Amino acid sequence: MRWYDKLFKPKKFTLTNGKTVSQKFTRAPLILLLLLVVLIISVVVTGFSLPTLFTNFTQFWIVFADLFPPKWSYFPSVWQPLIDTIKMSFFGSFFGALCALPLAILSANNVTNSRVVNLVARFVLTIMRTLPTLVAALIATYIFGLGTFAGTVAIFIFSMSFVGKQLFEYIETVNMGAYEALIATGANAPRSFVTTIFPQILPTYLSTSLFAFEGNVRYAAILGYVGAGGIGMILNQKIGWREFQSVGMILVSLFVAVVLIETLSQQLRKYLS
Amino acid sequence: MIKFEHVSKVYPNGVKGLQDINLEIEDGEFVGIIGMSGAGKSTFIRTINRLNSITEGKLTVDNIEISHLKGKELRRFRRKVGMIFQSYNLVPRISVIRNVMSSLVPDMSMWRVALGLFSKEDKIRALEALDRVSMLDKSFVRTDQLSGGQQQRVSLARTLAQNPSVLLADEPVAALDPVTAREVMDDFKRINEELGQTVLINIHHVDLALDYAKRIIGIRAGRVVYDGPVAGVTQEILDQIYAKSEGENNEVV
Amino acid sequence: MNKKLEDVLLTQPKRAKYYITAAVLVLAMLIWSSSALNQMHVTSKGLSIGWNILEGIITPDTTLLFGGGDSGVAYLILQTISIAFLGTIVGAFIAVPLSFISATNIVPKPIVVITRFVIMAIRTVPSLVYGLMFIRVTGPGPFAGVMTLAVVSIGMISKLFIETIEDLDSGILESLDAAGSTLFQKIRYGVLPQLSSDFISILAYRFDMNLREATILGLVGAGGIGAPMIFAMSGYEWHKVGAILIGLFILIFVIEYLSDKLRQYLLHG
Repeated sequence: MRWYDKLFKPKKFTLTNGKTVSQKFTRAPLILLLLLVVLIISVVVTGFSLPTLFTNFTQFWIVFADLFPPKWSYFPSVWQPLIDTIKMSFFGSFFGALCALPLAILSANNVTNSRVVNLVARFVLTIMRTLPTLVAALIATYIFGLGTFAGTVAIFIFSMSFVGKQLFEYIETVNMGAYEALIATGANAPRSFVTTIFPQILPTYLSTSLFAFEGNVRYAAILGYVGAGGIGMILNQKIGWREFQSVGMILVSLFVAVVLIETLSQQLRKYLS
Repeated sequence: MIKFEHVSKVYPNGVKGLQDINLEIEDGEFVGIIGMSGAGKSTFIRTINRLNSITEGKLTVDNIEISHLKGKELRRFRRKVGMIFQSYNLVPRISVIRNVMSSLVPDMSMWRVALGLFSKEDKIRALEALDRVSMLDKSFVRTDQLSGGQQQRVSLARTLAQNPSVLLADEPVAALDPVTAREVMDDFKRINEELGQTVLINIHHVDLALDYAKRIIGIRAGRVVYDGPVAGVTQEILDQIYAKSEGENNEVV
Repeated sequence: MNKKLEDVLLTQPKRAKYYITAAVLVLAMLIWSSSALNQMHVTSKGLSIGWNILEGIITPDTTLLFGGGDSGVAYLILQTISIAFLGTIVGAFIAVPLSFISATNIVPKPIVVITRFVIMAIRTVPSLVYGLMFIRVTGPGPFAGVMTLAVVSIGMISKLFIETIEDLDSGILESLDAAGSTLFQKIRYGVLPQLSSDFISILAYRFDMNLREATILGLVGAGGIGAPMIFAMSGYEWHKVGAILIGLFILIFVIEYLSDKLRQYLLHG
């Protein structure tokens, strides 16, 4: 920012007792200008238009009204895919969180004292995290075929990267005193880790894993869109056939399931912390 | 001049904050108010600018009876009475000078307030206030990068910028370490001596109160149990204020 | 053993029973949910596709990757960023008032219960469903994507905004009161400066998330980099898929880095 300060000279203030202070010229105009440019580019690129939005917004409510009343008789057919979705989320989250632990340990440089190992483990985490879950699911359907397995794989990858990242950042902030004390008594590194660091990270580890599971149930609902099993498959199908009241039923079931699981998991997380 | 006449304060939940207070504080005095926590020190100080309203009696500041003030009058009255809090009460993520200038806002026009446009005079006024507490070089630093003592000084500068004739301070140094606490107290003393502002400080460090104040008011259970010069404060009087006789384990620092 | 020590040992909380129950429960859930794995059909074709994707990433279609014009990866990235950016802004516009009427220190409890229920309901509908609904309003294309992300963002943005509003330091307001400020002055100098940097930091975080969402909106025809990728996949054009995936990685990685930096700056100076 030195060029900016050169272009716009700092302001000088002289106090009554003769002292002077100088204030750098404010950055606000520069930031505002940048924001404005980005905003204009975005509006042009996306074709955003408020008039269209206001004139056509009734369409949104028309579709919305079509969802009601939900077709209750359709519920029995929602049950199985909903259960599938929960199963996918649970299985994927569990193994994702399980595999995240070693990756996190390898990534944390206060426990694993090798720069190369740290970097490799973090690179793996980053690559997996960067891949949007739906894209992962899409690729998985090509490799493993359509169905819940592909969805489970996508959720597994997401959970592992998410929990892994949160956990390794937490491990690096952990108090190392007890660990060093145990090393000093002659214990080996893995044993010291298990007895001193693991108890410190366990609540966070479980809580993060539960949090990932919560989000996954919600997310798993759309995985079916690319054929990766669960409730998204029938959602996609019913939208395609324009049976909006059945869509309404699916959304209501999903809402109830998500609220139940979130409340349960939030209670558990509160208990953990 | 601040004058308490039979002032009492009962909180809505029935707790008696102040009971029958009668005293006068002349312009330019430096008063230390001591007492246990919960004795009514804060209530006492906060009635003076009506952050707490009194329920009985008469409280006049410069011959204005303040329980009658409303809205605009009350706000204009408060401009003359500056207040400093234990918790600094600064916005952490804006610059020091903006925090100081926030006390100038009541005197500004509506559109300047809305847009946050401060005149050069306002800025000079804020900078001079900062200079007075030796914080001039930190003027454009973000407030959350300062230490506790520095933040309390900024808070003092904010109050000075509004040019009050009375300074109220509610435990201003309670959160500071002993050395910093003395530095901040020095600031108060200098301001009292140089600008002649009346200073009222609530303080639970008795030694600080005795070192800096010229007059001590001891409060216990909402009543004034001592009011007089520092020289008159004996161990006996301290025992009375801090009620050691009741066998409670109150540490007098 | 010393009697006293023995007594103390007996008072040690018995948690074994509790741990075993938890373990059995989790194990039961695992067995129950393992049927999710049943629908696996790994064929030699699937494996060869896996290889093809890897090969596509290593040897991407360079004309697509570095090409200009409407179909080049650069333009697709620009479009995706634009969708995410505008979606975040529009979402924030809706979320700010919603947050103020959902904060317990501002409105009474019964209203909070209602508004929070509404926010929760908005949050449950999957983004792709919103996408399909908005296509009816705006027609297919990035505009629909913007609106979809705006609505999808409301849930998280308002949840975090509410926390910030409820954490307001009322001491600052008291100070301004003591200095003789009006209500408007208190909002302008006591509330806004406290909220603004947290709000911007939340928006930066949500922008980062919206970008990931924006990459998949193409599935329903709501613009962004997702649509060409799906076309390329269904056409088995793995080198194009590779080019788009590389663009995607770089995009998300860079934005995440920048958003982290901005938030660090806002929160710690």
